Order: sequence, then structure tokens, then C-alpha cells
Amino acid sequence: MKTEVIKAKARKIFYSNEMVGYVFAFPFIFGFICFSLIPIITSLRYAFTDFSMGNKTIELVGFANFKQLLGDEIFLKSLGITLKYVFISVPLKLIFALLVAFVLTRKTKMQVLYRSLYYVPSLVGGSIAVALVWKQLFARKGLFNSVLADMGLGTINWFGDQKLALYPLILMSVWQFGSSMIIFAAGLKEISPTYYEAARIDGANTFQSFVNITLPCLSPIILYNLVMQTIQAFMSFTQAFVITAGGPDNGTMMYALYVYNQAFKYNHMGYACAMSWFMLIVMCIITLVIFKTSKSWVFTESGD
Amino acid sequence: MIKKLLATFLTASLILGVCGCANSSGQEQSGGNTSSTDTVTEVDPSEPVTLRMAWWGSQTRHDITVAAIELYEEQNPNVTIEYEFYDFDSYFTKLKTLVASDQVWDIFQLGGNFPEYIDKIYYMNEFIDNGTIDVSDIPESYLKITQDTSGNQIGLSNGLNTYGIAYDVDMFNEAGVPLPTDNWTWDDYKNAALKISEATGHYGCSGLASSEFIAGCSTYIGQQGKVGEYSFFNLDLTGMGFDDAQMLTPYIQMRADLINAGASPDAGAEMEITNIENDFLVTGEAAMTWVAVNQFPTIYDICKEEGRNLALATIPRVSANGPAGSVIQSSQMLCVSQDSAYKAEAAKFIAWFQTSVECNQILNGERGIPVADSVRAALEKNLTEGQQIMYDYVTLVGTFETPEKVNVLSPDGQDEVVDNYRNYIQQVVSGEITAAEAADKTYADAENLFK
Repeated sequence: MKTEVIKAKARKIFYSNEMVGYVFAFPFIFGFICFSLIPIITSLRYAFTDFSMGNKTIELVGFANFKQLLGDEIFLKSLGITLKYVFISVPLKLIFALLVAFVLTRKTKMQVLYRSLYYVPSLVGGSIAVALVWKQLFARKGLFNSVLADMGLGTINWFGDQKLALYPLILMSVWQFGSSMIIFAAGLKEISPTYYEAARIDGANTFQSFVNITLPCLSPIILYNLVMQTIQAFMSFTQAFVITAGGPDNGTMMYALYVYNQAFKYNHMGYACAMSWFMLIVMCIITLVIFKTSKSWVFTESGD
Repeated sequence: MIKKLLATFLTASLILGVCGCANSSGQEQSGGNTSSTDTVTEVDPSEPVTLRMAWWGSQTRHDITVAAIELYEEQNPNVTIEYEFYDFDSYFTKLKTLVASDQVWDIFQLGGNFPEYIDKIYYMNEFIDNGTIDVSDIPESYLKITQDTSGNQIGLSNGLNTYGIAYDVDMFNEAGVPLPTDNWTWDDYKNAALKISEATGHYGCSGLASSEFIAGCSTYIGQQGKVGEYSFFNLDLTGMGFDDAQMLTPYIQMRADLINAGASPDAGAEMEITNIENDFLVTGEAAMTWVAVNQFPTIYDICKEEGRNLALATIPRVSANGPAGSVIQSSQMLCVSQDSAYKAEAAKFIAWFQTSVECNQILNGERGIPVADSVRAALEKNLTEGQQIMYDYVTLVGTFETPEKVNVLSPDGQDEVVDNYRNYIQQVVSGEITAAEAADKTYADAENLFK
């Protein structure tokens, strides 16, 4: 009698709608727990130890790693460089993505083709291959320098000068504007054409309607893109790793690259974990600031 | 509500179950490892054995090593060797993750940086003593170059090696600069580089940044005072081998001067050199470069094809009559891993790799001059021109007066010191700090390794 009740209950659970959801979500949940959550929690523990990958003994060192951060010149320099990279590359990328998306909303037969073309750099952008191409383009005898030389302007030592070296990397990030562009394009479609009609009747030109209609209506999407791109920019690693290896004189030592060097090259995994957690806090603060200020510039149609 | 809870519970237990499985199998594995550490079991010759092996190097090295492995598999049908190869940096990144997970390759290649991995190395003494492997063909002195100070056989050397400067003879002649002599000095070196860059518009000297620290900076210390008075790190690798940081200053100043004069690549140009095969000497844009001499035959052949003529010069000295500072050392060695389930089989392969004439005819001294007598004798019969120059050079360096004991090892964490040292030079170049400050900082960084 009892077993039948249990059986009935079990059947109820297995055939319920929720179960289907859990089964389908299982691969993600499994991956998230094993490859994100557990490493994140262990890294928090390592941040308070002197753990290194070659050495099996782990000693608790309290806040020593965090104290060391404050006195580490390269750490402070890499933090500055990363902030500079984020503050220049993210706005440029968003402006560029929005302009291209705006131009491409005009109904032409080629629209789909153009969108796909502009999206390609984002597909291949994170790869080593493109980074290597970039390295060649800006090399001493690369394409950019030969063009400059042919125009009689003299060559530029892109990666030899620490003031210049970051800009090719920023340019590469801006060039990968595709994913923000697609999101902007989708947002632009949602804006009701009646607004534009009304504006035209009132005599507004394209620029005026862009500033007074498009930007406010698109502001929630701008916020989304801004947050996502900022986080992504803080984590950028491949370009600096492949193109400059952090040089010259740590002029392109991105934060993530320095974390990698400390963890895998210099064997200070504990210190690297502490750095990662410090970055998490910095990113939280910046995201929070963006959200707080967003109330004053993000327009929601429901209004308040 | 209850349903929801149950569902959550079920999902959770499912996940825990999976994790549990993974855990228990992991434990079994590590348990197996520890037991095999204690007793090395002889393997029945018919039982299939799979060994994992890894090394770093150039494409040429990968090709010949794979060919040698295939030959071994042919001769020992029960052995399968799974191999992996990397460039230098990736090799050590991979090795560090394997050390952390107790899964180091059965046979792995290490250089002077072995102290960092000493916990993972299974000494080969046992196999030599009980006759599992026969190393009678390798002279005692060459076995010693891969022993630690207490006589443990860390591994077997892949070959003899030393540093030198490869140079383009025609570029020296074109600029009217006298060719290097066996005891030329750093001043001669600097003048040659400056004159050549002025006369030809090419770099006077270039080089892989990773070689420069050991071949240049660290050798520079050993060249001062009497033979064996100073060394960069001390002999038992517990501290510095010199007291006055300012001993480094003239060298750092010279490096910065050469870069400022355009006679040596700056940081941007240096990034374009990724391995010896695209060094500026090889591409015809520089007159000199640092080499570990086992690299010389390869670049000699490449340049020969383009009608250019390379030669080997000694590392310049502080004074013409002073110590040379160069020593003959092991290029790299192959080691048996603590994590291996077939340590005896791994040792057998390593012994074969270093002493078999047949195998070394394929390897052809690419890792350095072979240590086994019969192999060296066999290879000497048909040396290429480049190899002949390398052999003569090693013989020459062997005649230099060397201290009784030398330390060619790198302490744990040296990478960070070298990276910082290169940045300090760039700061001297840009005028941010003086050479004297760079010397102080480098010394402090190095000293910090032992605290």
C-alpha cells in the first residue's frame, strides 16, 4: 500500500512539467557547478594561501597576498592600463556599433549581407589567428608601416613605444563591434515608426530625430551593451598575450595577462587568485556605478 | 511547494552522485600512483605498455623525435608511446598543470630549471645499479652533468651544449670590422655592433631574449675577478653568488646603449623573434645573435642556402685575459616521472634514446653533442659543415680554464626575475631609470627568490 503511494508520487515527479525543465537545464547546471562555481569557490580559498602549482604544500597566509598587491608596481601599472583600455575602447566600440546599426536599418536588399559582413570580425575576433594577423599588420615592416612609408610619412614603431602599443589593441577591440551592432539593430527595429513620422511632420531633420527619438528609445539597450562590453573589456587577454606579451616595459600588461603570468609563469597561484578577487570587486563597483547613474539617462516607456 | 523541493533535491542528488563518481575514481587513481612509487614492478615483455612523453623545441626537433619514437615502437612491439610537443613556454605551462594534478608524462624533458620540479623526478640510480639500463657507454663526467650535488641521477643528458655568438662573416667584412677572436671583450663586441649597424643599416646584434639573460648577463658576473670567484647564483642555489649589484651596471648600460643606437632590436622588434629560425641573424637583418650552440647547425644550413656564411664566436669577456665564464653543460635531459606506472620501461626508453647509434643517427645531434662515446664516434664520421663548426667550438670552450664547481641551474621563480630585468633595461633605454638603478633592482629581485 505504502509503496504504491511512493510510486505514484515518483511518477508525479518524473512526469511533471518542471522535471522536463530540469532535465534540459542539466547540462548547463552541471557545467556551471563543476567548471565555474567550484573553481570560483576554491580560488577564494587559495587567495588566502601561498598555493603554487609546482608545490604541493599550502599554507594559510591571511591577507598577505592582498597587502602585497598594494606594493606591487606592475600590478598598479596593469590596473591603470586596463582602466585606460576599458574607458577608451568601450565607448568607441559602442558608438561605432550604433552608427553602423543605424545605417543598416535602411531597407535595402543588401542589408542582410552587410550585417553578416560586419559581424564576421566578432566571430573570428577572439581567436589567436586574428591576433597574429594584427601583430603582422602593425609590425616594423607590416602593412600599416609600408603604407605610411609609401606616403612619405615615415614609419611608426607601434609595439616598441609604450605610449603607442596599447592603441593597436584598442583598435582591434573596436573592430569587433559586431555583437553589439546586432543587438542595437534589433533594438532599432522595435522603435515605433510613428514617432519618426510625427517628428518629420513637425519638421525635424534626421539628426534631430536621432538625438530626440532614437537615443532615448534605445537607452535600455545602450545600458545593456555598455555593461556587457565593459565586463568583457576588463577580461581581455588574448590580444595582449599573443601580440605584445605585455611589453614594451609592461605598457600593454592587461590585468588578465598579469594574473595568468603570476599563476602559471611565476608560480604564485595564491597571489593570482587574490588578484582575480580584487578585480571582481573593481568590476562590481564600476557596474554598480553604471546602474546607479542609469536612472538619470535610461528612458523607460512606462515612465515614473 | 513540496514538489518543487523534491525536484530540487533530486537534481541535487543527481549532481552529487556524478561528482561522487568522479571523486572516487580520482582517489583510486592517486592511490595506484602512490603504491607504484614504492615498488617498481618489472613488466612482462609481452604485456602492452603505454608511455607518455613530451618535449619542447623547433619543428625539426619534433619531426626527428617522432621518427625515433616510431623506430623504438617497431623494435619493442609491446610499447606504445603517446607523444606531445610544445614550444618552450607552453611546455612549462602544461607541465605545471600536470604537476598539480599528479599526471606528469612518464618521460619528460627538463633543462637547468629542474629544481622547480624535483618532487616529480624519479631518480635513475636504481635502474643503473640493478642493470635495468646500461649506461657504461656514457663517460662518468657526462653522467655527472645531470646529477644533483648528492649524486642522484636526475636524468640522462640529451647532449652537450654551451652558449656562443653566431655571426655573419660577410657583414663583418662589409663593415670593415675585424672578426671576433677567441678572447674578444665586451668593448670589442659593442664597437663591432655599432660599426656594423652604422655601415650596413642592419642590427649589429639581435637575439632571443630568453637566451640573453643566461648567455650575457649571468655570464658577465662569472667573468669578473678570478676564475670561479663570482657566479650569478651561488653553487648550491641558496643565494646570490656576488655581493655588489653594481657589477651588473656596465653590462646593462651597454645593452641600453646598443638599443638606443639602433644597433640592437628594441622591445617591439624583439617581440617579432619567436624562435631561432626567425631570428634577425637568420632573416639577414642582424650581424650577430646569441645561440645555444645546438641551434647553430640548423641556422647555418638555412643561411647557407641563401648563400650567406655564418660562424661561431665565443661569448665576449670582461677583459681579454680574464675568465671566459662559459661552461659546457647539458642542453636538456630526459627524466622519469614519479607519476609513471612503468618507471623501468620509461628508463629503458631514455637509455636507448641517448645510447643507441641507430636512434641518434635520426636525431643527428640536434639537441646537442651526444654524450655516449659510441654515438659520438659514429656521428663524427659524417658531420655537416655546421655541425663541424659546433664540434670545434665545444672543443675550444672545453680548453678554457673553468672553476672546479659550477652552477648552471636556475632557481624556482627565475622567470619573474628575467621578465623584470628586461623591463628595467627598457626603462634605462627610455631614460626613466639609470643603469645603476636597474642593476640594484635586478639584484634585489634575484635576492628575493631566496627569502
